[in-house]
Amino acid sequence: MTFKPVRKVGTLLMAGLAVVIVAGCGSTAATPSAAGSTGPAASNGTTNKPVTITVGVLRPGASQDAADALNLQIDQFQAKYPWITVESQEYNWTAPTFTAALAAGTLPDVYTIPFTDGKGLIQQHQIVNIDARVRALPYVANFNKTVLANGQDADGKIYAVPTQAYGMSLTYNRTLFTQAGLDPNSPPATWADVEADAKIIAAKDHVAGFAQMATQNCGGWQLTTLTYALGGRMEAVDATGKVTATVNNAATKAALKMLQTYRWTDNAMGSTFDYNWGSINQAFSSGQIGMFVGGSDLYTTMVQNNNINPADYGITVIPLASDPNAGVLGGGTLAVVNVNTTEGQRDAAVDWMDFYYMNKLTTEAGALADAQALISNKQPVGVPALPVFDKATFDQSQVWIKSLINVPDAQMSYFKTKIFDQPLVNEPSIDTQTLYADLDPVVQAVLTDQNANIDQLLNDANTQIQKAIDAPAS
Amino acid sequence: MDSPARLAVAPSGTRKRRGPLGWVSRDGLSSLLFLLPMLVIFGFFAWFPIVRDVVMSFQRTNLVDTPKFVGLDNFAAVLNDPLFGKSIGNTIYFSVLALVFGYPLPLILAVVISEARRFKGVLSALAYVPVVIPPVVSVLLWTVFYNASPTGLFNTVLSWVGIGAQPWLQNKDTVMPSIVIESTWANAGATMIIYIAALLSVPRELYDAASVDGASILQKIWHVTLPQLRGILLITMILQLIATAQVFTEPYLFTGGGPANSTMTVLFLIYHYAFQNSLGGDYGMAAALSIMLALFLAAFTAIYMWLTRSWSTNS
Amino acid sequence: MKTPRLPFRSNRTERPRQTVPDVHRGIVGALDWRFRRVRWTVRAIHAFTLAFLLVAGLGPLLWLAKSAITPTQDTLRMPLALWPHGFDLNYLTQAWSQTHIDRYFMNTVYMAIGSWATQLIVATTAGYALSILKPPGTRILTALVLATLFVPSIVLLVPLYLSIVDVPFLHIKLINTFWAVWLPYGASAFNVLLVKRFFDNLPSEVFEAARVDGAGPFRLFWSICLPMSRPILGVVSVFAVVASWKDFLWPLLVLPNPAVQPLSVRLPTLQPTTELNIFLAALAISTLIPIVIFLIFQRMFLSGGDVTGSVKG
Repeated sequence: MTFKPVRKVGTLLMAGLAVVIVAGCGSTAATPSAAGSTGPAASNGTTNKPVTITVGVLRPGASQDAADALNLQIDQFQAKYPWITVESQEYNWTAPTFTAALAAGTLPDVYTIPFTDGKGLIQQHQIVNIDARVRALPYVANFNKTVLANGQDADGKIYAVPTQAYGMSLTYNRTLFTQAGLDPNSPPATWADVEADAKIIAAKDHVAGFAQMATQNCGGWQLTTLTYALGGRMEAVDATGKVTATVNNAATKAALKMLQTYRWTDNAMGSTFDYNWGSINQAFSSGQIGMFVGGSDLYTTMVQNNNINPADYGITVIPLASDPNAGVLGGGTLAVVNVNTTEGQRDAAVDWMDFYYMNKLTTEAGALADAQALISNKQPVGVPALPVFDKATFDQSQVWIKSLINVPDAQMSYFKTKIFDQPLVNEPSIDTQTLYADLDPVVQAVLTDQNANIDQLLNDANTQIQKAIDAPAS
Repeated sequence: MDSPARLAVAPSGTRKRRGPLGWVSRDGLSSLLFLLPMLVIFGFFAWFPIVRDVVMSFQRTNLVDTPKFVGLDNFAAVLNDPLFGKSIGNTIYFSVLALVFGYPLPLILAVVISEARRFKGVLSALAYVPVVIPPVVSVLLWTVFYNASPTGLFNTVLSWVGIGAQPWLQNKDTVMPSIVIESTWANAGATMIIYIAALLSVPRELYDAASVDGASILQKIWHVTLPQLRGILLITMILQLIATAQVFTEPYLFTGGGPANSTMTVLFLIYHYAFQNSLGGDYGMAAALSIMLALFLAAFTAIYMWLTRSWSTNS
Repeated sequence: MKTPRLPFRSNRTERPRQTVPDVHRGIVGALDWRFRRVRWTVRAIHAFTLAFLLVAGLGPLLWLAKSAITPTQDTLRMPLALWPHGFDLNYLTQAWSQTHIDRYFMNTVYMAIGSWATQLIVATTAGYALSILKPPGTRILTALVLATLFVPSIVLLVPLYLSIVDVPFLHIKLINTFWAVWLPYGASAFNVLLVKRFFDNLPSEVFEAARVDGAGPFRLFWSICLPMSRPILGVVSVFAVVASWKDFLWPLLVLPNPAVQPLSVRLPTLQPTTELNIFLAALAISTLIPIVIFLIFQRMFLSGGDVTGSVKG
């Protein structure tokens, strides 16, 4: 089951994206930006022992097109690095299955994880320190510092490469808006607007005006998003590095009160309260939800898996309170190297990461080829994304693919234009998934029990989470 | 009692000598060969894991570093976990509901069907169909049935008879009964078949005698049928109790333990400890809880057997 | 009066064949049947039961079949309507190809066959050794096997999983292989004791005669014991296949690679990323095979209980 949207969409994006460089590979080698991609290869020395690496890119159920595209790209890569053989392995990050795969040692040599798990895996010595290799890449200085921090240990050593980032957004159904008499081109800009619109949609369209996820850790994840938007934080790290859980802060309480009002007073949240990441997308795509807080990159999966009518999809920035601490929760995907690898495999792994994940963000030929591959596989091009590097690089990559964008760009402009005005806040860094998991029942209680005691629920959850944070690691 | 077949092994009637020397003969070797599959399979996949579970419950392990002994810490952690009490309560609730609602139904159906003149086969087959459907498919199907919106399937049916839409799986008060209903539907047929077979073995003369004594049908059921079935009824009861104590698939697939942990059962909690943390499970706590549950079930079964020992013999 | 067929046919001889039960000799006796009130009440109860079982037993399946070819919106908004906007058989083919049901179904079948074979081998050889050959230590071994019967399977969950990840002493990885499912299934004390009990009750004269004729233990097993054990092998087989078909948690844990997952593990994973109509079509296809098997082997399924009862006696 999907766990973090980034994970699912990230890997799906990778699969579908299937960066295929046909002719471009040759010209890529000539352009200066491509010099970086030959850098690590050169650092391997002139004597390159043959290595084989397994890469986890394609998710189960990926189409034959996606598989072909990936194979093509693997051929490209192997042409460029003749001593490296790449084998593709089906891979999908979900919280329960990841543990099993980790324990069983069945993970590929190169795989992806959400930002939230980076530091945890570093602490448990499950991923490789690739600091020296990554620092040899030419664009390493351009990484967004906050984004890169997810894959670094306390000393700043790089263990993981960020490949993709998203920000939370307010996703809304334009068709339902229209049917309810609201204007889809002026989406709600404050939480009061959200409440008002939700009530109208529930009354006129007989669907949930506003929906909330509550299972598989997504309840806690969304609650954290709401908390950030209202100016609160879930964890506090003091100067000595001691971590305190603060889930019972005022902003979280306000967020839960908000949900309580929507649910019980306004009756605007429909009748299903056990959504997870996959099922809320499904419900949204089949027209059962007016608005919900979701990742900025959901359009791809809704097109691929949920058969959404493109005209329905609307996205805007999440309303922020006027608190100076209010911000947008941002997350993303990290590419990591399995600890069960040889030095030669690790070199090859970083070469692969550079080639497959980074090329399309840093070189024009890479970006174009990637976009063309998407189009030929009937995948969306131009889905909102957040920069992994600095804004200049990001803008440049958007310009490169401008003519190939095939998503309803106007519908997405509300988000794309305004997101950069909003401060981005990282997810809580310690025991994140446990924090989310312990908050799920709180969200569920508020949505299913009219007499839920918010203060008590949050205090209990806080105690639980603090215990988990304080527990000795392994 | 000596099995007559034993004579086939030692026709002279003398006991085989114990010890390795006794095995050297051809019979000993072939005995070993025949025992080998069982010894290997049970050794690796039954006896060793049981021992290992006991050991693990006293250790802290994360599969990467060597496990270290922590004494009773795991047990203490489990007992102090608020989810522990909740899971026990939920499991008891589920078991009681299943006993009250799901236990009599197969018996009633069996009695009714065994008295049918025609359609006996059809009736049995119809009741058994839900049993052959894989449980996962049943649960997924019933999740669709239990859609809580007013246009959900069951809610639509309820609206025909004027009852309002129910939250089914979305509310902690209705979720457990909902799960029990599906569980009963899926399993009643299997127990019913056992009862039908047992009913066949009730001597007809008893019914005839009761009839002659003036007993009504209901009286005959109460005074003849049920006592005759006592043995099998007690066995199916304990089997059901043991099975419901370990329920996992239904809560996991229906609600993932929610809403607000109201369907988190003991087995689910064990799974949660071991497998639901993306950064590595707490196998020690999971092992500790399994041991506790196992001890409880063993004690429960022993008490049950002792209490019912005088009732289970057919008079 | 037409004679109904006996529910179970076997070549056991220890039980006299039962006289055919008919309504005049059951709970509702001849004396009761004379009253009109009784007759009509009983008939009404049976009619009601038939209707109830038709709705409860067949209803969900019929609905599933209908919805498998109904568009998603219709299923969501008007679940009990009969194709208000038409139906589309394409959903079935789409479900088949998109979700690769054939692959997962075959995995389920492999799992069932392997589990069945392992259980049969372990149970028959162990039962034979413990019952017929009776080497020294039989009592201890039987007690050890019996002990595992009283240990609930949850105790095994975590350590068994760790054993699969890294088999002790041999240090091989069984995870993501079918062996991870087949081998633990073999450790079924219930089967061993069931078979042992059955062998205990076999007539000794046959064995003696064969022994006198010079048959060794293997010959005895293969040519004498097994052919006489068809009923119990049938029971063990049915239990084995059904248990394997139903299993969820264990394959979920030890088969993380989707390529080897059985249907029971795969379908829940598909649910959130598959549209409702396709998903229901996939469910419908998944129910087809078990139903067909059941209809063919009805007799064996519906009589399982009888044999259990008789073996107990």
